[in-house]
Amino acid sequence: MNRALASGPIVWLGIIIATCLLLVLFQTVLWLVMPVLLAVVAYYMLSPLVNVAIARGITRARAVFIVTALLTIFLVAIGLIVAPKISRASSNWKNKVGGYADSGVKLIANAQTTLEKMVPFVHRPAAPPETGKAKGGAAAAPESKPTPATAAADEAKENAAATEALDEKVATFTEQHSGDVALELARWIPSLLLVPYITYFFLLDGPRFKRFLVQAIPNAFFEKTLYLFYRIEDQMRRYFQGLLTMTALDALCLGTGFWFLGLNAPFFLAGLAAVMAWLPYLGSIGGGLLVVLVAAHDFPGNYWLPYEVVGLFIGVRLLDDFVFMPLTVGRSLHMHPLVTVLMILLGGAVAGIAGLLLVMPVLGVVMVAGQIIGELITDERILARYRHARHLKRLRARTDLYMEG
Amino acid sequence: MLFGLPNPRNPRLQLLKNVVLFKDLSMRDLAMVDGLMHAREYLADEVIFDEGEEGQGLFVVLSGRVKITLPASANNLLLDLGPGAFFGEVALLDQSVRTAQARAVEDTQIVALFRAEFYSLLETHSAIASRISFQLARVLAARLRQAVVNAEQHHQAT
Repeated sequence: MNRALASGPIVWLGIIIATCLLLVLFQTVLWLVMPVLLAVVAYYMLSPLVNVAIARGITRARAVFIVTALLTIFLVAIGLIVAPKISRASSNWKNKVGGYADSGVKLIANAQTTLEKMVPFVHRPAAPPETGKAKGGAAAAPESKPTPATAAADEAKENAAATEALDEKVATFTEQHSGDVALELARWIPSLLLVPYITYFFLLDGPRFKRFLVQAIPNAFFEKTLYLFYRIEDQMRRYFQGLLTMTALDALCLGTGFWFLGLNAPFFLAGLAAVMAWLPYLGSIGGGLLVVLVAAHDFPGNYWLPYEVVGLFIGVRLLDDFVFMPLTVGRSLHMHPLVTVLMILLGGAVAGIAGLLLVMPVLGVVMVAGQIIGELITDERILARYRHARHLKRLRARTDLYMEG
Repeated sequence: MLFGLPNPRNPRLQLLKNVVLFKDLSMRDLAMVDGLMHAREYLADEVIFDEGEEGQGLFVVLSGRVKITLPASANNLLLDLGPGAFFGEVALLDQSVRTAQARAVEDTQIVALFRAEFYSLLETHSAIASRISFQLARVLAARLRQAVVNAEQHHQAT
């Protein structure tokens, strides 16, 4: 279909309502939606490999088996490499979280001090001296002007107190929630183990399953439904392949930047930040914050490093928004930027973090389905053909039912 | 059958083997193409597609009969197709609209090859797809030649 599908306000309202309802539903069965979603990502990542293998004369079943086996081996190898490190890290993670939080507070305090030095009018007023007398008391002695030395000492005290308070909070938080985190991980691991299994069947039986679904469609809607399936699949493929390409480009740019800046494990951090960016807006901020904290923690003496990291993040974000996104994901959805932002906010409002993560792919699919279904149910000719076919079936069913005479 | 094994003695394969488009294919290749096709059944007098609709693929008649008529004139019969014939083939090549109406004359079984699936065949099994494309090109060339002859005859007559 070359022409753009023009949908009216009612169809668009239906699309938005359907998207919100699906997000609420998906939020309740997130343990199932997440492995399916990851399997869809893996399916679009691996299907070109399967096609290459098929083109080389391997049967589909064998190609799917080989590719899925390679994926499983890869994931197991990653698990074997990463698990001991996570195990070692988890033993002192309470201290580490405290350390990172501490570095963050120091960074903020340093930034504040620098800002006050550079821009005098943002200087905080000195705290009133604690005289132990009633405020406004008639006998209050005239306040002596604090010297720069005492002001600096006060500031240092305040910072130390704030750091201590935050450390306490972090310690209490980790104490309270460490069990919850472990339980949550234990709950998610079995469903994540489903990912290679679901991917295998998507790759093996995807085309057959599509034909199975199409069989149930009445003849009048047949060609349009085929087109709908094609559009949805194309939309999802382009979205997920675009997302993966963008993640790889982000990781490459950030990793190279981190490597130049001298950060530890630059490409691991870059990959983590790029994957976190799958969560619109919040993910990018979270990823940036994480790397800034790591930089502040690992290089406490390098005052400018966190700012360089922030600068790098902003640069890559701009590249993302103006170059990578239009070339990858943006091409797949053809959506107005305002609609995108509003839908992300709506997704977050109706289904929280899960809504933020799922809103774009769900909206993409519902949009295509809504547009084509809207076109189908307003096409009088197709509806007339459907009614005609039903009439023919009814006539056929009645044949020889009544005996004449 | 959704998860069953393909039947090597599938009678549909025997029917497809008689279709001009697939005559260069081995039974194994044909089974591959058959795996991409969608089977449909139409009652007598049921419309398969209308003129002006956007075509998505080609149809092959397995049993029954299909008539192709020009728009706005149900009696203006262009073709009467029986088992082994195919129609709507231009939609396999581009996203053009249908130029005529197809209607089942009697109870008819057809299979449809969707354009997107044909393109995927070009990627994964280019040898099979190129054989089908070659036969399709021959059929279209023959039709073009016939159209030129008809136009010349019409021109001479007037």
